Amino acid sequence: MTFRTRLLLVFALTVVTAVVFVGAIVSTTTRRAFERLNAQRVAALAAQFRQEFLRRQREIARQVKDIAEADATRDMVIALSRPDADPSVYVDAAQPLAQAHNLDFLELVSGTGSIVSSAQWPARFLYQEDWVTRRDDWDSQEPFLKREELPADTALALISVHAARVADSKMFVIGGEALDRDFLSSFVLPAGMRALLYRAPQSIIDSSGPVRQTAALTPLLDELRKGRAEVTRTVAWSSDAASAETFHAIPLIGPDNELMGAFLVGSSRAEQVGLERFLRRVEILVAAGGILLALLISFWTTARITRPVEALAAGARAVAGGDWHTQVDVRSGDEIGALAAAFNQMTRELLEQRDRLVQAERVAAWRELARRLAHELKNPLFPLQITVENLQRARASHPEQFDEVFRESTATLLAELGKLRGIVGRFSDFAKMPPPQLETVDLNGLVRDSLKLFEAQMQAAGVALRLDLAPGLRAIQADPGQLSRALQNLALNAIDAMPSGGTLSIHTAAEDSGVRLEVADTGQGLTQEECDRLFTPYYTTKTHGTGLGLAIVQSVVSDHGGKIAVRSAPGKGTTFAIDLS
Amino acid sequence: MRLTVWLPLAALSVIAVCGAATRPHYGGTLRVETRATPAAFDPTAPMAPLVFEALVRLDETGAPQPCLAISWQHEGASRRWQFNLRPAVKLHDGSPLTAAAVVSALQAALPGLAINANGDAVVIRAEHGISALLLDLAHTAFAGTGPFRLGAFDAGRRATFAANEDYWGGRPFLDGIEVQLGRPLRDQLVDLELGKTDIAEVAPADLRRASEHGRAVWSSAAVNLLALEFAPGRAHDARLREALALAIDRAAMHNVLLQKQGEATAALLPQWLSGYAFAFPAKPDLARAQSLAGSLPAAARALTLTYDPAVRAARALAERAAVNARDAGLAVQVAPQNAQADVRLIEVRVRSLDPARALAGLAEALGLEAPPPAATAAALYASERKLLDGYRVIPLCHLPDLYGAASRVHIFAAPAITRLGDWRFDNIWLGASPSGTAP
Repeated sequence: MTFRTRLLLVFALTVVTAVVFVGAIVSTTTRRAFERLNAQRVAALAAQFRQEFLRRQREIARQVKDIAEADATRDMVIALSRPDADPSVYVDAAQPLAQAHNLDFLELVSGTGSIVSSAQWPARFLYQEDWVTRRDDWDSQEPFLKREELPADTALALISVHAARVADSKMFVIGGEALDRDFLSSFVLPAGMRALLYRAPQSIIDSSGPVRQTAALTPLLDELRKGRAEVTRTVAWSSDAASAETFHAIPLIGPDNELMGAFLVGSSRAEQVGLERFLRRVEILVAAGGILLALLISFWTTARITRPVEALAAGARAVAGGDWHTQVDVRSGDEIGALAAAFNQMTRELLEQRDRLVQAERVAAWRELARRLAHELKNPLFPLQITVENLQRARASHPEQFDEVFRESTATLLAELGKLRGIVGRFSDFAKMPPPQLETVDLNGLVRDSLKLFEAQMQAAGVALRLDLAPGLRAIQADPGQLSRALQNLALNAIDAMPSGGTLSIHTAAEDSGVRLEVADTGQGLTQEECDRLFTPYYTTKTHGTGLGLAIVQSVVSDHGGKIAVRSAPGKGTTFAIDLS
Repeated sequence: MRLTVWLPLAALSVIAVCGAATRPHYGGTLRVETRATPAAFDPTAPMAPLVFEALVRLDETGAPQPCLAISWQHEGASRRWQFNLRPAVKLHDGSPLTAAAVVSALQAALPGLAINANGDAVVIRAEHGISALLLDLAHTAFAGTGPFRLGAFDAGRRATFAANEDYWGGRPFLDGIEVQLGRPLRDQLVDLELGKTDIAEVAPADLRRASEHGRAVWSSAAVNLLALEFAPGRAHDARLREALALAIDRAAMHNVLLQKQGEATAALLPQWLSGYAFAFPAKPDLARAQSLAGSLPAAARALTLTYDPAVRAARALAERAAVNARDAGLAVQVAPQNAQADVRLIEVRVRSLDPARALAGLAEALGLEAPPPAATAAALYASERKLLDGYRVIPLCHLPDLYGAASRVHIFAAPAITRLGDWRFDNIWLGASPSGTAP
């Protein structure tokens, strides 16, 4: 994973974590605020309900008492107490009274419990209301809840009973109000809230009429029936969370401790859910924006951070590739800038050191060349000097022998001059190494041809030749002259390395990318230091020689695009391996 | 001395004033309101006798009395009748009523009879005895010779009548009559109380109010049958019909809702007409009704009951019937003017003082099979019993036509409303309007 990717992930993770964290805090705070506000609103509405309920109780009791104590009612009681009483005269008496006193229900019931007139159900005249005759203390009773049967349905009513008495005669005035749509309409409902009225056993209404879908309220109502205490529950109307409502139910208990109904305060969660959804969308948008911003910042930051690093890496690779002139263009003043400056300083110093080393090596090479030349030239010069001095002495001391000495001396001079010419020629050859003229060459054939020249020399030196040539070795593109010369140099070195005799092994083999030629001797071997300097021009381990043989071999191999390596250890001989393509 | 002179004079003055208050006098327009909304002037409607007359008319006992025929004879076992026309009778267009005109009108109204003119007489013949011909003729008002001429008729809204100056019985006291049609009962009562009308129809529950402040209440005989009728063509279980019939508390309806007007009944014909209506048991039998209803599947115990709001006390009666049915275990839902209802509360009018004809008329109006001719009361009872078998029709009560009359309305001789509810306003005269009310 790149630094840039890591940085992006860190930024994105940081932003998302921050957003989620803040969002969670905001959502929780919002939810709690809503719940607190909702609880306050529900409590206010519940208090409003209780107050309204109490007010209606008082009002109903007052109205019923007024009717019972009215002169017209007393006249009615008197008329109905007569032996020839005709209650049918009063069959329609209740309705105008109910209207005048704003009562939904009003029944005038004789002392025997027979309905004289009913406002809510006029057709029930002369029917019995036996329950009203079972007690005589109605005047001191508070209004109570009663399930009032009507022609079409059953209503939940807040009822008050008062007895109109004249002497021993009495008539019950039963009046009340329905807990219905109008009752619910009297409440001032804040937005998002609604008031429902549950009327046992099944009916649920709101201010606009019956509520049709009430199945979701069943668990709440069941709990209400069991406990008959106030209950608060959240009801989900559908799979959409916004449809959920929190209901607070206030039970309405009848005189026989029967659950007559309940006042349900519903508070919609739509606003809360809507806000939560809005916050979630904002969170997502902020997170997305944050991620995008993180992307941009990470790109910008990584560009600022990794560009110098990458430049440094590229510079290091260039240096590793040999380009020691590489300089990194980093101008920041931070650690990366310091690192880049140090890198540039390093490459500059490397260049300077290399230049000094090259200079030193060059001086050393010249010194070595001078020493080698001096050494190589000194040997032939000394016989020349001796010979010339012999000639001088012979002329002076032995003129008669001068001719003979002259012949011998000139022969020696010529020989030594020939050696000098040979030395100069080798140096000249090394200096004038031409580029290879490539042609198809059979390496095995070239090996055999080249080594024929050394058979006598090897025989004289007691060196056995062992050829291990791979049959069917493919031909290669090479300069046969230069390659033969390189092989001869290796063979000569090998023979020189085995003054007491040994075995010279030549091995060819096919490789994946070309062919391999190995020349091994069984000489005394080389140290590691000798191996390291073996291909240095003018370096030799022998007492004679120019030190150019292996340098020439390496030059030839290099010019053919090949590689040469040496394996050797003291006492275990030396093997040169040449890989050619 | 002075006292002895003035006392007789004062007494004579008082007598003279009282006499002036009760003495009929001519003039004035009678204002009448009715619920009826006839599309055309119907010769069979209660107001028709104002304009149309028949050869004979029935008195309060149902006995035929001379009208356009001053006398009649029959012979040959009632196969030949001769009616002698009242002389000098003029139609409203001024033309004399001739025997030929009568023959022409009767031939259209009484098909199957041979009707001919014989001088100023009309002869009616039949192959068999036509003993009930006088009743037929009494119900066949054909001639526009009545005490009032039809002035204008605006269907459903208004009708006006003007006094027939040439009426053979003498000019009526009233100059004219204005009838407002299609007026709801409650509005009629208010108009009556406010003096905006002289005569208004009254619901039983409003009788006390209608009779206050010197107003009078007139009524016909109990000629309106209020009954529950199961919708024809629907296969209601007989047990359901019987359960509903046995659950009805007619007495409570009659005593309270109808304020004891008319009579509670389980018969089609009223007691005053048939004489045997008491033989139809009208008391509820709740135990049997509950047993019958209990034998029905729950879904079959539900009924819808409808009524016409224009029918007097209809809503109260329907709702009471629903309450009674509820006691029997039936669920009856009441709604006005529901054409799809299972049961409807109807009002059917008795149109004949002849029981057999009245029963036939009721059967026809109720869509029941026409009863066979009944010569005796027992046969008529059997016919009526047969009509009521199966409880397709459940009679509730017979209710009279009820009218409230303003205090300025006076009746000279015969009742202004006949037993069958016809208007006889030629006997009415108008007194002074009470102060503060419109004339």
